[in-house]
Amino acid sequence: MPVILEFLSWLLMFSGLVFCFIGALGLLKLPDLFSRMHAAGIIDTLGVGLIISGLFIQTGFTLVFAKLLMVLVFIFFASPTATHALARAAINGRVLPNVKNSDVPVPVDNNLISGETQN
Amino acid sequence: MKLKINDGEFVIETLIIMVLLSFMLIIGLAVAHIRNLFSVVILTGIFSLIGAVIYVVMDAVDVAFTEAAVGAGVSTVLLLSTLILVDSKEKVTPGLNSFVAFILVTLTGGVLIFGTIDMPKFGDFKAPIHNHVTPRYLTKSSKEIGIPNVVTSVLASYRGYDTLGETFVIFTAAIGVLAIIGRGRRKPEQAIKHAKGETFDDT
Amino acid sequence: MYEILIIGILLTMGLVLIRAVIGPSVFDRILAVNVFGTLTVILICVHGFFTGRPDFLDLALVYALISFIGTIAVSKYVAFSDVKNPIRHDFFGDI
Repeated sequence: MPVILEFLSWLLMFSGLVFCFIGALGLLKLPDLFSRMHAAGIIDTLGVGLIISGLFIQTGFTLVFAKLLMVLVFIFFASPTATHALARAAINGRVLPNVKNSDVPVPVDNNLISGETQN
Repeated sequence: MKLKINDGEFVIETLIIMVLLSFMLIIGLAVAHIRNLFSVVILTGIFSLIGAVIYVVMDAVDVAFTEAAVGAGVSTVLLLSTLILVDSKEKVTPGLNSFVAFILVTLTGGVLIFGTIDMPKFGDFKAPIHNHVTPRYLTKSSKEIGIPNVVTSVLASYRGYDTLGETFVIFTAAIGVLAIIGRGRRKPEQAIKHAKGETFDDT
Repeated sequence: MYEILIIGILLTMGLVLIRAVIGPSVFDRILAVNVFGTLTVILICVHGFFTGRPDFLDLALVYALISFIGTIAVSKYVAFSDVKNPIRHDFFGDI
């Protein structure tokens, strides 16, 4: 395989790894559930996408390429759906987003502290 | 695709397996400690998923498929359906003397680990299983059974009674689950009335 | 060079696992478990290429499907009260 393609594939894979780290760090450090969903979305799209793109270049147009493509397409469609389902469940479970200094009115449930659920 | 079998590969494999086993240990401790049963069910799902990855790293793909499908998929959904029927917070029972139990469990675990020191290493070619039974299966399978895949011929023909017992077990489990959890489908209006406490029957 | 990738992915899994164990509400744990499942899929793909036998990618697809179904099932149950007949608080249809 020519050197330029190999270099490109390793570049893609390592940048995917860096984005996975950034997403995991965000998952740990961000203050609220809904902002952590953004960090999880980084891992699901950029992390997986870049690493699998690097693996695309490592293998040619074979069956392995088709399988990797199916994995990527499935994660691409399934991960926002799962995040949406989780966010709906969180809102229905009465978890409030932690907004300060926001000009969008947020419904306030006076019996709950923000970020706490009823379960 | 060249096959890299050198020393570096075994180091990485051992590292992966040790790290994943330590994750399982952390999750086990968390499952014992957490009181909210939803969280426990989800962590049990992750426990099975890590086990399945360990099976992939050890090159046992069939077992990994089964572990993923049963442990992370079916078992999680079944436990959730069970949580409908019971309370979702674990009751703390105070006042148990757990020191004697701890000593007993540690002693038993130590004796078990001591017993495995004598076993042959993983994949050792001098181990008894590789010298008596396995060569016979590998050499005679195509003549005696005729199925090209040796794993299938072992599962379905040489060890057919095991497979029969497993189908019994799974069938019984499914019947038991249906008897406990499966009920008729309620209409949505009925469900709302039931939740508000306005129905008189006990569906 | 695959070793660095594998070690990096294992470190990321460890960090996500901390959130799964700590997370104060059950939704944090569901989110962390979903991300852990995706990282498991990446780990299997990279491990397949590391050993030179990328034929186990079917397994990665199965895991992606199963972790997706698990997350949807848990979200559906935790918000509503019944898996088969949810009592809906909003009117926008099923998940």
